[in-house]
Amino acid sequence: MIFNSLTFIVFFAIVLALHNAPFPWRVKKINLLVASYLFYAAWNPPFVILLWVSTVVDWWAAQWMVRSERQATRRAWMLISVVVNLGLLGFFKYGHFLLDNFVAVAASLGIAYQPPGWDIVLPVGISFYTFATLSYTLDVYLRRAKPAKRFLDYALFVTFFPHLVAGPIMRPTELVPQFEQPRRATSTQLGFGLALLTLGLFQKVVLADGFLAPVAEAVYDSHGKAPAMLDAWAGTLAFAGQIFCDFAGYSTSAIGVALCLGFAMPDNFRFPYAAVGFSDFWRRWHITLSCWLRDYLYIPLGGNRHGPARTYMALMGTMLLGGLWHGASWTFVAWGGLHGVYLSAERGLKARFSGWVPGPAALAGLAALTFLLINVTWVFFRAKTFGAAGVMLRAMSGTAAAGVPLVAALPMAIALGIVAAIVATHWVMRSTTIEAVVERTPVPLIAGVWAAMAFAVIIEQGQGSAFIYFAF
Amino acid sequence: MALAALLTVVLMTGGWEAWARSQGLRPADMDDSPQAWAQLRRQAGTARVAIVGDSRILFDTDLDRFKALTGEYPLQLSIVGSTARGLLEDLANDPSFKGLLIVGLADTSYFRPSGLGYGGMYMHSSERNGKPSQRSGLFLDRLLQPHFAFLDSVYRFSKLAIRPDHGWRKGPDSPYEDVWKISETYPNRQYRMWPQIETNPYLQYQARHAWDYFKGPKISNHVIAAVDVHTREAVSRIRARGGEVVFVRPPSARPIRVNEDKALPRAIGWDRMLRFAHAVGVHNDDLPPQVQNLTIPEFSHLNAACATVFTDAYVRRLTQLTPRLKLRVDAPPPLTRADCVKAG
Repeated sequence: MIFNSLTFIVFFAIVLALHNAPFPWRVKKINLLVASYLFYAAWNPPFVILLWVSTVVDWWAAQWMVRSERQATRRAWMLISVVVNLGLLGFFKYGHFLLDNFVAVAASLGIAYQPPGWDIVLPVGISFYTFATLSYTLDVYLRRAKPAKRFLDYALFVTFFPHLVAGPIMRPTELVPQFEQPRRATSTQLGFGLALLTLGLFQKVVLADGFLAPVAEAVYDSHGKAPAMLDAWAGTLAFAGQIFCDFAGYSTSAIGVALCLGFAMPDNFRFPYAAVGFSDFWRRWHITLSCWLRDYLYIPLGGNRHGPARTYMALMGTMLLGGLWHGASWTFVAWGGLHGVYLSAERGLKARFSGWVPGPAALAGLAALTFLLINVTWVFFRAKTFGAAGVMLRAMSGTAAAGVPLVAALPMAIALGIVAAIVATHWVMRSTTIEAVVERTPVPLIAGVWAAMAFAVIIEQGQGSAFIYFAF
Repeated sequence: MALAALLTVVLMTGGWEAWARSQGLRPADMDDSPQAWAQLRRQAGTARVAIVGDSRILFDTDLDRFKALTGEYPLQLSIVGSTARGLLEDLANDPSFKGLLIVGLADTSYFRPSGLGYGGMYMHSSERNGKPSQRSGLFLDRLLQPHFAFLDSVYRFSKLAIRPDHGWRKGPDSPYEDVWKISETYPNRQYRMWPQIETNPYLQYQARHAWDYFKGPKISNHVIAAVDVHTREAVSRIRARGGEVVFVRPPSARPIRVNEDKALPRAIGWDRMLRFAHAVGVHNDDLPPQVQNLTIPEFSHLNAACATVFTDAYVRRLTQLTPRLKLRVDAPPPLTRADCVKAG
């Protein structure tokens, strides 16, 4: 189920009531585990089996790694875990992609291969829980973490419904210890958690789905019509706002839901459109994925310990694979590759001008340039083909032959106004946190903003559309 | 603070509900959705009579009147903005359906070259909408809908916010070109014309404007031939397993009908298609004079009262055309134009 649904409201009310009932802590954890399976099964009950497979394999792999003294045995169990997890991910997420590319390569060699038709349904959130469980066995293998003491705690770490399908990607060291002691939200935590849930839903239901998605769709799904320059920019900026509000909205809701139950989850977004430079952007955008890629891909690929050439290769490799993680399409790889190029160029420039400290104007200029170039990457993220991305980029650069207006004036104005407000908010908030701002804001103002957001969510009604990142 | 926020939300929502009711929205109006359609679609295997088609047969059929005349309560599977052809194909591909299928069509929609229109969203998501979370969502929605008038997908905040744009920018369709609310939906997907379309001149004019008088290019002979073949094959598949298919062509008002006839004259559209498929049907033009010239407020769909009159007329005619429908001995007396159109 999704957070922006009536079903979730009822589900969450029951979970919250059970969690605050006078049951022993072990019973409460079992309640949370069962609730998490129900949460996942609400989409497609059979896919719960995948969760079980992933949970059981990684639990036993970690157990055997700890019990074994032989390095070869430890490595074998680690590899079993990696193969099973990446095998599931590869089959369900990349099966079609691999087959299509195999057919294309065969055709280029003059071999006409017609594969049998197969229909693979992508299990929701598989990329997220696969990465979460992989980090468990890898950390145990690398002796960076001890295995969970109880199977129940580990199963709950994998399945805990707030982060299950779209993150934040939790590490076992962050969540498993929280399951060891009884936890219950204080009234302040409950209030703050509900406020975060409201903020997340406002971002998703009202901003992303209500106002931004229709403008992005009008431009990107225009069935071959080339947009005018203004429309191309409006569509891309609207998508920049939509993807932020959609994904950050989910993370904010997830953090709020967990907080209502007394659990802490890490920030996943820190005002990314105020980033100055691309390394700064990735410290602010999907932070838990950035950290995962850094720890389990970039550093093992060599990181910055083996000279500049190896560093750039590690950077590009990480970003290309990070792009592929987002979707089984070459356009996502291009998106990641473009970020890799940006990061590499930034690294080179920083080395060249290491002593330069930008003033306020230069800082603002660099932030604007970063935002502009980030929008160029979103074109590859949103366009379904390279051809469509090319049409969009030509329109945005003003070099398209004849574009047509695709978006009406008022929807465009509202969408651009929202994006401008998002960027301005990020800029104002770039060095602070929501918690700090809430603390120094008068209570009536906070209550008014909270009520306004909740009211907007109610009258927007929503249509129960899934979060974009569920497909990743 | 939480209590103050909650109280504010309750007050604001109450005010919004009052405003929605002042606009003519009614709590009993349940709104339609792909989930609601999918729920009925899953019953097709046991249905003795089902109706598929675009919005005209959806608005223009009174399901209770149908039952009063024949004893059969049809499964209403029509979808607004769709083509009846796609839905006919959908049922033809369902081996469990063996009943009588009534295909209601607007010519230019049925003979469109390709695409399912808005119906694609419903048809392609039927499996997805059978998921537990979606069934529970529909169940909860049905609990809330009868109490709140503001729960209406056309009256979402984001849709209302862009309505003032009546074409401020040259080129793209403005929100004023969209189809706004014209219907109410009751249990079993019983659609009815929203009374505001008859009484509110601004909304009536906008609804007419949205149809753009069904202007469109002439439909090519190539497309007509392809549709004929497609229809015959679909009808044959349903008949091969014991089912039957009949067609109904509901009325449209003169300003629209002129353009429909230009795009596709009846002789090479409706008449030829029925001959080619060896099927029977009821065209509005062939109904008795006493049920002609019914009230079509926005030129494309009958108002609620006249939908009952049209249903009465076409169902009576169908009972003469197919043995699968029989007129009950205790059927109510026939209705005429006078039952829904005020004199003068």
